[in-house]
Amino acid sequence: MASAKGKALTIDGLTVDFGGFKAVDGFSMIVGDGELRVLLGANGAGKTTLMDLISGKTRSTDGSVHLYDLNITNQEEYRIARAGVGRKFQIPSIFRELTVEQNLIVAGTREPSVFRNLTFGINREGRRRLEDVVELTRLGDVLDRPAGELSHGETQWLELGMLVSQGARVILLDEPTAGMTQVETQKTAELINRMKGDHTILVVEHDMAFVREIASTITVMHLGKLLAEGSMAEIESNQAVRDAYLGSGGIH
Amino acid sequence: MHAFVADRRRLEFLAYALFIAGVLAMPLFIDAFWLNRIAKYLVYGMLGLAIALSWGYAGILNLGQGLFFGFGAYMAAMSLKLQSYTSLQQGSDKPIPDFMLWNAEPNAPTDLCCINEGSFLWLPFQAQWFGMAMAILAPTLIAYLVGSAIFRLRISGVYVAIITLALVLLTRLLIIDAQPVTNGFNGLTDLGWLTIGGFEFDPYMTQTYYLVAAGMVVVLLATRLLVATRAGLILQSTRDDPNRARYLGYNVAAYQVFFFTVSAAIAGFAGMLYVIAAEFASPTFMDLTFSISMVVWAAVGGRASLLGACIGAILINTIEASVSESEMLQEGWKLIIGFLFVLVVLFMPRGLAGLVNDMLDRIEAMLKPGAARPPATTKTAAATAAEKPGE
Ligand SMILES: Nc1ncnc2c1ncn2[C@@H]1O[C@H](COP(=O)(O)OP(=O)(O)OP(=O)(O)O)[C@@H](O)[C@H]1O
Ligand SMILES: [Mg+2]
Repeated sequence: MASAKGKALTIDGLTVDFGGFKAVDGFSMIVGDGELRVLLGANGAGKTTLMDLISGKTRSTDGSVHLYDLNITNQEEYRIARAGVGRKFQIPSIFRELTVEQNLIVAGTREPSVFRNLTFGINREGRRRLEDVVELTRLGDVLDRPAGELSHGETQWLELGMLVSQGARVILLDEPTAGMTQVETQKTAELINRMKGDHTILVVEHDMAFVREIASTITVMHLGKLLAEGSMAEIESNQAVRDAYLGSGGIH
Repeated sequence: MHAFVADRRRLEFLAYALFIAGVLAMPLFIDAFWLNRIAKYLVYGMLGLAIALSWGYAGILNLGQGLFFGFGAYMAAMSLKLQSYTSLQQGSDKPIPDFMLWNAEPNAPTDLCCINEGSFLWLPFQAQWFGMAMAILAPTLIAYLVGSAIFRLRISGVYVAIITLALVLLTRLLIIDAQPVTNGFNGLTDLGWLTIGGFEFDPYMTQTYYLVAAGMVVVLLATRLLVATRAGLILQSTRDDPNRARYLGYNVAAYQVFFFTVSAAIAGFAGMLYVIAAEFASPTFMDLTFSISMVVWAAVGGRASLLGACIGAILINTIEASVSESEMLQEGWKLIIGFLFVLVVLFMPRGLAGLVNDMLDRIEAMLKPGAARPPATTKTAAATAAEKPGE
């Protein structure tokens, strides 16, 4: 067990009841500071719903979520984001009509107030952070392009870059390699590995090759509940996991 | 690529400079009658840019902008009405609007405080500055309240259009209904002139034209600077993807309310300038057709461009005035405008300003073959991906 200081994300008995159907059902999990945790589960297991609950998109009906020592249960999305939770959606979402650079500026402002944003440009600190993110995501050549013109892979990397710019301490990634070519997937794995350590990352992924590339600890979800937790090897040999996956073709 | 962006900046700067110079030079070329007309069209230009701010930059289609324009106009007109000689008739030495006297009960006291039940509302408007201040403050306050209600509830898209539309029609009914205070259908006419430091702004004087033109230019430049701030950038991000903005930590509603309110304040200010130039305020300002016209001007000029929307409004109205000499042409003109609007919405979502931009792209591509950036509209994500195999 990680020490109290080392817990980035503490989920305790989290439940959401959609009119009798519990998509997430008494789910508990602790993700340590700087850890990269992979969340596995068959279709409909409740992975996306769990991320909705953590990030404030959906309100839970029971249980709690803590970001370090801060209780963020059922707060408004923008408050949870300001507290330090960044989220990437299954469908990439960036600001299509803004340039790549403007996307990163919006993400990296670190100042939510309308009135305090009534000035021009970004300060030196912000510029330095922006350059770091451009370096990390290798988007230097497309900075002046409208983000809507980027390729699928570039769009995903931009969104990852925005989470880093935002200064998110805990980052939630929902299937970051969905729809990517093998080359793009490879680059994404590298990118996530470089983000590891500076950020605590919780990632949902179906691509097992990708999971092997990045995973340290894996949590398996089934019917909204915690099924197993452990290393890749432990999970692969776990009987309960094998049984749960029988219906959906097993872990490949 | 940075050079490209810098070039485009310079061209935009040039366009603003030319437009403003043209507006300021106008009195050299036209007579007092047309100057007064153009002053009104400059006011419409402000309305076009206010729509571009909310629709183009914030993605909020406000079909009730006439509400804010109308409030601005009535607030200013109330003060100017009390300044009019028509308010000092029938032996009264304290100003009372003539229509109140005409409709007064036989034994009602001849005093603004209590000649009828609502007349006391007019009392503070005896000070001209009060009416002028309220012309901006009242629309600002109303927009803040309406905007807070709409955007906190995350109402968006067509629902905002319907709600704003319903509000302006409702207000129009209320104003017509409050006949004793507002003179109902007839509106406020026979107004006095704005007087500043003893100087009277006769609507047909060049000075009045410059008052309106200066107001328009200041609003145009201030709004252009406003959208260039980080807040302006964040606003555009909430238009592109409100959820993404939320998960970056922005209270999207706060940004929407702020810019919706700024847009309303501009419309209120425009209403005030209109009254100064046109000498009347009327419930027709809150007609559905007027609010929709503003949207058409902005769409044709280019809702993504403040200057484009402003020029669109001025251009359409100037042409309309030129053809309205004959009845037949006037009807035909409405058809043409309607048709133009449909064409623009379907094929030219960025309006005239977008057309100019695309032409500049073409010219640039011809001047610098190979080196030029491909035009934004023709390049697809797939094409971009195909260009970089193995990346
Ligand atoms: N708002 C809602 N109301 C009712 N049911 C919902 C709602 N949101 C999700 N569900 C249901 O909850 C279950 C879990 O869905 P969820 O999207 O979290 O699964 P997932 O693990 O992300 O699946 P996938 O791998 O397919 O993305 C599904 O059966 C889904 O239909
Ligand atoms: Mg999912």
